[in-house]
Amino acid sequence: MSDTTQSDKSEDEKLSTSPSTSRRTLLKGTALAAVGAALTGVAPFMGPWKHNRIWAQASQKKPLVIGLTMDASGQYAASGGEERLGAMMAIKEFNDKGGVLGRRIEAIHMDTETTPATGSRVAERMIARNEAAFLIGAVHSGVANAISQVAQKYGTIFLNTNSSSPTEAGKDCHRVKFVWDGNGTNFAHAIVKNAIRANGKNWVLMTNDYVWGHSTSKATRALVEANGGKIVEELLVPQNTRDFSSYLLKLQQLKPNAVATAIGGDDIKSLRQQVVQLKMNNSTAWINNQQDWPDVYGLGPESIFGVFGTTWYYRLDLPGVKEFVAAYQKQYPGMAIRVPGNVYHNGYMATRELLRCVEETGSTNNIAVIKKLEGRKMSARDRLQHFDAWMDPATHHCQQTIYMASYNDKPAEKDDIFKILSQVEPKDVADKDAAGACKLESYEATPVYEV
Amino acid sequence: MPRRLLFSSMDFFANLLPHLVNGVSLGLLFALIALGFMLIVGVMETINLAHGSLFALGMYFALFFVAPKLGWFPELQSAYMALPVATRYGIALFLAPLFVGLFGMLLELCLRRTYGRDPLYGLLLTFGAALVIEEVIRLVWGSNEKQLPLPEAISGAFMLGDLIYSKYRLFASAFAVLMIGVLWCFLERTPYGAIIKAGAHDSEMVRALGLNLSRLRLYVFGLGVALAAIAGVVMAPIWGIRPHVGVDAVVPAFLIIVLGGVGSLWGAVVAGLMVGMVVGLTGAYASEWSLMSMYLLFIAVVTFRSRGLFGKKSVLEV
Repeated sequence: MSDTTQSDKSEDEKLSTSPSTSRRTLLKGTALAAVGAALTGVAPFMGPWKHNRIWAQASQKKPLVIGLTMDASGQYAASGGEERLGAMMAIKEFNDKGGVLGRRIEAIHMDTETTPATGSRVAERMIARNEAAFLIGAVHSGVANAISQVAQKYGTIFLNTNSSSPTEAGKDCHRVKFVWDGNGTNFAHAIVKNAIRANGKNWVLMTNDYVWGHSTSKATRALVEANGGKIVEELLVPQNTRDFSSYLLKLQQLKPNAVATAIGGDDIKSLRQQVVQLKMNNSTAWINNQQDWPDVYGLGPESIFGVFGTTWYYRLDLPGVKEFVAAYQKQYPGMAIRVPGNVYHNGYMATRELLRCVEETGSTNNIAVIKKLEGRKMSARDRLQHFDAWMDPATHHCQQTIYMASYNDKPAEKDDIFKILSQVEPKDVADKDAAGACKLESYEATPVYEV
Repeated sequence: MPRRLLFSSMDFFANLLPHLVNGVSLGLLFALIALGFMLIVGVMETINLAHGSLFALGMYFALFFVAPKLGWFPELQSAYMALPVATRYGIALFLAPLFVGLFGMLLELCLRRTYGRDPLYGLLLTFGAALVIEEVIRLVWGSNEKQLPLPEAISGAFMLGDLIYSKYRLFASAFAVLMIGVLWCFLERTPYGAIIKAGAHDSEMVRALGLNLSRLRLYVFGLGVALAAIAGVVMAPIWGIRPHVGVDAVVPAFLIIVLGGVGSLWGAVVAGLMVGMVVGLTGAYASEWSLMSMYLLFIAVVTFRSRGLFGKKSVLEV
């Protein structure tokens, strides 16, 4: 009885004293922490918030939030829309199977406005407020770089789906960033040698005056000069240029054998229209580094001229391509772009591969998923391309088939506007400078992130 | 040696001349874009931030009249499409500004509540209208790039010397000159123009004389918006048609009217020509500065003449 009483008493004491003790302890701890913070300049009791996130999420099956950082306005609005559809398709396929790791996937999208500052703000908000597990999407290299800096700060994996500046997997590479589009150097490798042979040695570069344009033209210049050609002039085109009349007059005065453009988005659309108006599409050899499908889709076949690169085409004669196109048309009926292009393909493939890695890893832990993605082999059949692809572990750049294309003068149907001239193996177009320029942060220097 | 110098100077001028001509043509187009903006700011003292979106709406209405998609009325569509492109283009050039102008009048009715209040209300309303118009365009026509079909007579190119020029650009520049002339005649040679100018100068006096100021503002706003739409129709084949194209128009338009002096027709024309010239020349000789050059010109002018080139001296200035 007494034992019981004793026992009850001690329990009562525990119960009655416990709150005051813990309050006192808390107050003492807080005071000590404040003194410690003042002395050391850090807040000792506020551990890295990444751990807080793990605690908050671990016991529950909360939806897995994916932040889609894609442009809906500005120069790359059209491409941003297409890559969003690609990512959404991959997410839908996983959700149809029950999500990933038993968690439903929720996609949230915010317009990055083709503006680096907006990209940073969106990334910060998606990670800090929306608890996005991963960030996906970018077309503009400045935006991609801005997002990746924020992502690296938190340790959030970021997929650069469609920005093709060589700097993205070069000097601006990050441990958390994976680049899925072919880059300017890949496309230049695929085009330049043959173009010099076919057109002549005197070239003019037309360069969009920002990172992608400069790095792409730099790669083209190096290859032209290495193959005995000469760059007679480089015309820098500020972003959002709508009137190219002075450039086109200058080109006529320079009379080059070929004009290599590194101009994207709405700028290339305006340029194309004005080139066609002057009928310069027939009088000059145009080498367009890469041609994104949304940039040419609405222009009409007469505006597609010159030789250009791409990473995918909807009429590739490969198993699975027709089904892929049919799935797009079924999921997105009545779209202005009736068939998917390279931008959609990149958005889809990148998202799908990421979710597969999460599934295989059995975790959303960033380091585990990063290790799964690094060096990942992807079969040609699976990616609907001619050659196997892989994720270069040194640069985080997807090495994939590059296609050379031109306008299709014998289209099989209305949308069949590309004629694929050749396909080049990834190893033949590799960006050999990237590995030297890219300094990935160590795993230890990358914050652990798991949501 | 002097002979060589002479030849090299001649070469230089031979190279420069096409760029000077191009600068004038570009300037006329810039002036055309700014005309409607100038009229509304000058008469109503309202900065119409929806100018760009109304410019874009003009493009889309033109597209509708040149290449309509009347899915529910296939016979009507085929009958209409049987008309020559030139006729359809002429219809577009007339009807697109008319419809957009009527829409502008509706917008002015909404804008009335902001008169006499903080100018920020007017700015906010027109900014909101710009966003709504752009989204409506996206919903109706989609976000993809569109092209405006052109009549054969004004499409393609012609050779002058050993250089190729665009026929359409020549047409657009000539049309800009025509519009400037028509607007000048309207403002300077008709009683309506006199009323509009009087309204801009002293609206209270106009009201005291028994003229309906509200109606005047309604018509002026409609006319300014119609001019934005005309510029949109003319620029569509050069810039291309997309929902957010208005941003490319509103910034130079704003810059040109401040540079030329608010409310001055000839100020807008001269400023447009100056902007066209610097953009054209820098595009040819220092291409990376081609867009920046107009802002540098603007800074240079307003530093020394804050009311713009042709702006009237304020009574507050000594």
